[in-house]
Amino acid sequence: MENVSAVLAQSKRKKLRNKIITHSLWYVLYAALAVVLLFPVAFMVTKSLMTGTEAASLPVKFWPDNPTLENYRRIFTEGNYMRYTANTLIIVVFNMIAIPLSASVVAYGFAKTKFAGKNVLFVAMLSTIMLPSMVVQIPQFAMFSSFGWINTYFPMTIPNLFGGGAMNVFLLRQFMRGIPNELDNAAKIDGANAFQRYLIITLPLCVPILIYVMITVFNTYWSDFFGPLMYLKTEAKYTLAIGIFRDSIQNSSVQNVPVRMAAGVFMTLFPAVLFFIFQKQLIEGVTVGSIKG
Amino acid sequence: MTNETTAAAKKDSPQPEGGKKFSRLKEVCKKSYVGWLFTLPMTLGLLIFTFYPMIQSLVYAFAEYDGVEHFELIGLGNFIRMFTVDRREVFKTLGNTFLYSIISVPLTLVLSYMLALLVNKKIAGVGVFRVLYYLPVVIPSVVSGLLWKGIYDPTYGLGNSILNAFGLPSSQFFEAEESALASYIFMNVFGVGGSMILWLSALKNVPPELYEAATIDGANGAVKLFCVTIPLSTSMIFYNLITGIIGSLQTFNTYVIAANEGRGPGDSLYFFAVKIYNTAFSGMRFEYGYASALAWVLFIIVGVLTIFIFRTSKWVYYGEES
Repeated sequence: MENVSAVLAQSKRKKLRNKIITHSLWYVLYAALAVVLLFPVAFMVTKSLMTGTEAASLPVKFWPDNPTLENYRRIFTEGNYMRYTANTLIIVVFNMIAIPLSASVVAYGFAKTKFAGKNVLFVAMLSTIMLPSMVVQIPQFAMFSSFGWINTYFPMTIPNLFGGGAMNVFLLRQFMRGIPNELDNAAKIDGANAFQRYLIITLPLCVPILIYVMITVFNTYWSDFFGPLMYLKTEAKYTLAIGIFRDSIQNSSVQNVPVRMAAGVFMTLFPAVLFFIFQKQLIEGVTVGSIKG
Repeated sequence: MTNETTAAAKKDSPQPEGGKKFSRLKEVCKKSYVGWLFTLPMTLGLLIFTFYPMIQSLVYAFAEYDGVEHFELIGLGNFIRMFTVDRREVFKTLGNTFLYSIISVPLTLVLSYMLALLVNKKIAGVGVFRVLYYLPVVIPSVVSGLLWKGIYDPTYGLGNSILNAFGLPSSQFFEAEESALASYIFMNVFGVGGSMILWLSALKNVPPELYEAATIDGANGAVKLFCVTIPLSTSMIFYNLITGIIGSLQTFNTYVIAANEGRGPGDSLYFFAVKIYNTAFSGMRFEYGYASALAWVLFIIVGVLTIFIFRTSKWVYYGEES
């Protein structure tokens, strides 16, 4: 009897030891991969802590001899980066409100109402996802020029009031279809009209997917390069993405790299923090979008 | 649904009285107006910002137009130009774009799939690594371009230090014709975390019973991977393939890293979308006409490829029909 339990205990210990060994092997592999994948981020951070002279000295260093926050001080106090940030935020905040609102109204129409031509409109909308943006970009530029919208934020904001993008409508519609119609019907019997049902019943239930949409909107417009490249012509109007790019063209020498990397870290920080906070919603949202409906 | 009923009703009564027809219409309107109102923003948006510009761009494609005053219809002139005067550049940019697409899309698919399989384990703390692997994806593309430009700097970047540390010869990266595109493809590998997230959700959807059944039948890990996991992820593979191809054919990010207005040394980083942009909006005069013709060529290529992939998608498993 004793013998048996001893053998059992031994095999248990052996199993545990095996588990510890295989797990630590996994951890080594995971850590190695993390080091590789995060290397560019690390490069950006350490470069941002160097002085201009150090970045331009040989041999090349990964870690600065005297880490300094001087570059960060400079982007916060000198130059135009804070103005670019404010400009970017104007576009971002407008779209973070306009797109979820507009898209959810349209999505409600697709998910909860019946109307003639629904399928035609839905297919037309979805097919625009495949359309290369270059096809419409050129006439749009001509159109917005004739509106006097060059060097304003209107081209990057006003069109979003009209539906807020096919992908966002699709996501919201998928989500709304998952909400039982009984709720809607009950409210209908209580005399709520369609708009009230949208606003009071459906919208509050869509919060998880709305968060996802808002964060993708933030990321899209925070880092949008193409729109500002086309439409913003003076430095006073630049957003961060176009500002940092023009800076890299105008001050292209190596001495200027650290300041730009500090701006890059600053620019990456916002989406990174949002990702850390809303991981769960983000991963779920990606899933809703990709699993066919 | 409603459309069908009205159509059927029309067939039933070949000579309807005006009043009856009108009341039908009224009925449809009454039933539909709420839905129409809700979707009105999208209808307007599609008409004003997509369909109208599309028609315009189609007209431009057959015209010479500088965006200001000179507008002249020139028939197929723009398309002839692609194959004659501008042949070298058109084929160079198309070649670069296709080469990038053909290498980059499968590479990202396979690497991100492998990564997802690796972190799809029940080990404490694995979630932290998933987050870390995803982190490079949140770097704004402009920043990522500039930062890689820094790493790839032949003299002051770390790229060559790393190559040399492994005993490999130095490279000119973005600054030499033969290494530029390869460097760009390598740089994009660091975004595998994005597709990894998608794979993880696909893997989660594989019913555990199937693995149990496979284990009982004596299947080993590789058999389970190729006979259970991969076949059941085909809908996600398909989705990633489609979005990957559509996205990669429109790559514009090279504009940030490639010198000389997004061309790179010897046009080695010159992509088709960048060429369209340059034709339309830079240089001595704007050429909306020719740029639109190029854009339509891109549209047709993307469309044909998408339809082709959809047609040949018998291998995709969409779950049991319910």
